[in-house]
Amino acid sequence: MNSAVILKQVPDTEALIKVKPDGTGIVKEGVKFVINPYDEFGVEEALKKKEAAGSGEVTIVSIGPDRSVESIRTALAMGADKGVLLKIGEDEYSDALATAKALAEELKGKDYKIIFCGKQAIDDDMAQIGPMVAELMGLPCVTVVTKVDVSGDKAVCSREIEGGKEIVEVALPAVISCQKGLNEPRYASLPGIMKAKKKPLDIKDTKLDAPKATIDKWENPPQRAAGRIIEGDDAAAKAAALVKALRQEAKVI
Amino acid sequence: MADKFISERNLKFLINEVFDAPSLLQFPRYSHHTPEVFDMVIDTAMKMGRDLLKPSFEEMDKNPPRFEAGAVKVHPSVKRLMKECGEGGWISAVASLEVGGQQLPFTVGLIPTFVFSAANYSASNYPGLNMGAAHLIESFGSQEQKDTYIPLLFSGAWQGTMALTEPQAGSSVGDITTTASPTDKDYYLIRGQKIFISAADHDCVDNVVNLMLARIEGAPPGLKGISLFIVPKKRFDNDGNLVPNDLAILGIYHKMGYRGCPITQLSLGDNGDCRGWLVGEPNRGLYYMLQMMNEARLVVGMNAAAIASAAYYACLQYTRERPQGRPITSKDPSAPQIPIIEHADIKRMLLFQRAVIEGSLGLLFQCTVYSDLMLAHEGDEREKYSLLLDLLTPVAKTYPAEMAIHSVSQALQCLGGYGYCDEFPIEQHYRDTRIHPIHEGTTGIQALTLLGRNVVMKNGKALTLFLDEVEGAIKKAGARPELAAHAAQLKKAVEKLKEVIGHLVGIATGGNIDLFLADATLFMEFFGVIAVAWQWLLQALAAQSALAKGASPSDEDFYTGKMYAFRYFFAYELPKTEGMAQRLLTIDDLTLSMKPDYFSD
Ligand SMILES: Cc1cc2nc3c(=O)[nH]c(=O)nc-3n(C[C@H](O)[C@H](O)[C@H](O)COP(=O)(O)OP(=O)(O)OC[C@H]3O[C@@H](n4cnc5c(N)ncnc54)[C@H](O)[C@@H]3O)c2cc1C
Repeated sequence: MNSAVILKQVPDTEALIKVKPDGTGIVKEGVKFVINPYDEFGVEEALKKKEAAGSGEVTIVSIGPDRSVESIRTALAMGADKGVLLKIGEDEYSDALATAKALAEELKGKDYKIIFCGKQAIDDDMAQIGPMVAELMGLPCVTVVTKVDVSGDKAVCSREIEGGKEIVEVALPAVISCQKGLNEPRYASLPGIMKAKKKPLDIKDTKLDAPKATIDKWENPPQRAAGRIIEGDDAAAKAAALVKALRQEAKVI
Repeated sequence: MADKFISERNLKFLINEVFDAPSLLQFPRYSHHTPEVFDMVIDTAMKMGRDLLKPSFEEMDKNPPRFEAGAVKVHPSVKRLMKECGEGGWISAVASLEVGGQQLPFTVGLIPTFVFSAANYSASNYPGLNMGAAHLIESFGSQEQKDTYIPLLFSGAWQGTMALTEPQAGSSVGDITTTASPTDKDYYLIRGQKIFISAADHDCVDNVVNLMLARIEGAPPGLKGISLFIVPKKRFDNDGNLVPNDLAILGIYHKMGYRGCPITQLSLGDNGDCRGWLVGEPNRGLYYMLQMMNEARLVVGMNAAAIASAAYYACLQYTRERPQGRPITSKDPSAPQIPIIEHADIKRMLLFQRAVIEGSLGLLFQCTVYSDLMLAHEGDEREKYSLLLDLLTPVAKTYPAEMAIHSVSQALQCLGGYGYCDEFPIEQHYRDTRIHPIHEGTTGIQALTLLGRNVVMKNGKALTLFLDEVEGAIKKAGARPELAAHAAQLKKAVEKLKEVIGHLVGIATGGNIDLFLADATLFMEFFGVIAVAWQWLLQALAAQSALAKGASPSDEDFYTGKMYAFRYFFAYELPKTEGMAQRLLTIDDLTLSMKPDYFSD
């Protein structure tokens, strides 16, 4: 079973993120980049499905600057078969639609039974790419998926919804966006790492369409004000002072 | 950033900028790798350390192994760890391609060990033991032994161990009494007792294979009569089924730290049917084991530096967050308190930790580089690297092992009373790291090896090579204005080292061997500080080159911090050698003449 995984390289969840003083973006220097964790579920699921089918290829497709090659290689080391990087400049930005268009262009005309992607990228949290790619390719899309069973030309997916699960049957090919809980991504193995360097990785210079939605500014969340310790002679006096403060100053009760 | 336990940046600095690991790729032995492979190894190791080992760090300490009905139960996470390390090829990382390994240079292949032991020292030992056991079989076993055992050790399905110690034979390995009686089959019958054997029984593997020292009946006494055997807990019968091998677990010890991994007492051949298979030739066992132990000693050094690193990062975070006190000159009692990291004394303790950890790591990687170069060369060059490695191995084990205790102690000190409580991880690191000067040869024994054997071996050839290396670094640093003073300082210390060695060898040639070796441990300490100073000088050279080329802002912070730690070592640690030299240059039998009776009251 052939499938593709849309993968984005994002700052490590543990990295300390600083906004540039002029608010035009984040400081990338010195930041460690990793595979977007939700995309990693996609890689794992694609590998599982390929293993279950006993044949097929998993292709990783990413848009990003040069450094994204490292993340594609990591996915290849996990077991994916080939990679494509649609290369853009380090600070080249467009909106989700332009990004999705470029991806759809790359993905179309191949016989991918499923195109996996993360439910969102943890850097900008837009959660738009998967559905847009599906729309542009005329494919059905199931989002926030925690289970995928493929049988023939259909897949039965579990989705997380408020307070429960929704079971969706979808005709393949389809786009499936992955949620935590779908699987536990494997670690790259050492033999896998060694094989990865020999796997095909196609780097294509890419020009994205001009954005229709632009980001004006990035800001840090407001600094949290210092806390205050309620003074009082005993617990009762402190409780009374607290109630007074909550009612009169904070106006929350 | 909450749970940082090692610096990936520093690892990359050491292997790429100081030791230029990618240059190893020029040798056929390693040419199937690329620099990207090295990076991905570090990346994956970090991820596994963080997600697979770190989460059970405290749990394994709080729920140590249990001995129930003759068997040992350990933390269930060990099963997954063995499987991942096996399937991922991490156990076989440095093993040769012929036996199914990846033949990574030791310098890179040891990084997962470092990362894993910083994340969870106890857990890291289980796969680590397999590396050693498999390597012994790879080096000295028969083809059949390799085919039978290596795949099971590499896959993590079985546990490997090193079984030397007996109740009456700890440091004095030559006193082991476990015996092996020849049979008319391909095996020997083993009888005896072993103690303190790490991981020799647990429920997260299918079987255990002990690489065991024993004495063949009638063998000469002492070290010359020791042979190496494979003694599995369960053996294969004729139909390929696993059946018990008459090896009983008598119990486990309750330890101060490193509690996640059991040390067991074994009784062999109670029913006369414990079978052992000879590895290599009879009476060569200690020689075989020593090859392996030299590697194991570098691993112990790594483990110690790793634990100290984890403690450092826990401590660093705390010192940034704990407000306490005000600047000494502040007169306003209502001004907010400052984070303790702003106090000079806290910075001193933080710098001390870095000086120890990064200096130790330098020395350890220097040894792994010698080991890699040794395997990549033949003839004279091979001998050169082999001698350097041999000379420095006891130092690269002992300096980190001893100093990590002080380093973790200072980490604990930075947390004040909280450091002493188990809400914070440092008290566990403190207990965990205490093992290192004891196992794989105590500090006392390493010191005797260094002074009694290594310094004088081959007429001091290894020592001469070492001095050449150090003097090479001094020369390079001397040519840089910003390092010239430090280079001169180290030169002086090296002159003292030569003087001390000349003095001690003089005592030895005068025939007083007891006096020659009486202060071997002090000599080890002295030698260790100088060796680590050399390493710091190499790191400072690399940092200066990078700064001179122009570094990005975050790199500039890194290199500047590096230079501070370097200067700390030369300002606070290296001068200690002067006092040590003073003692080492005297002729005084103080410890020798002190009689056991005088200790009583
Ligand atoms: C947690 C742990 C794990 C271990 N794992 C293993 C294992 O997997 N396999 C294994 O085989 N063993 C293992 N050991 C045993 C370990 O290697 C021994 O404890 C160690 O070699 C010291 O031996 P000993 O305990 O008998 O101490 P001793 O040899 O009795 O030493 C006591 C003290 O005397 C000093 N001393 C001894 N002889 C001399 C001398 N000739 N000159 C000067 N000083 C001397 C020592 O330096 C030490 O300070 C382990 C031990 C521990 C605690």
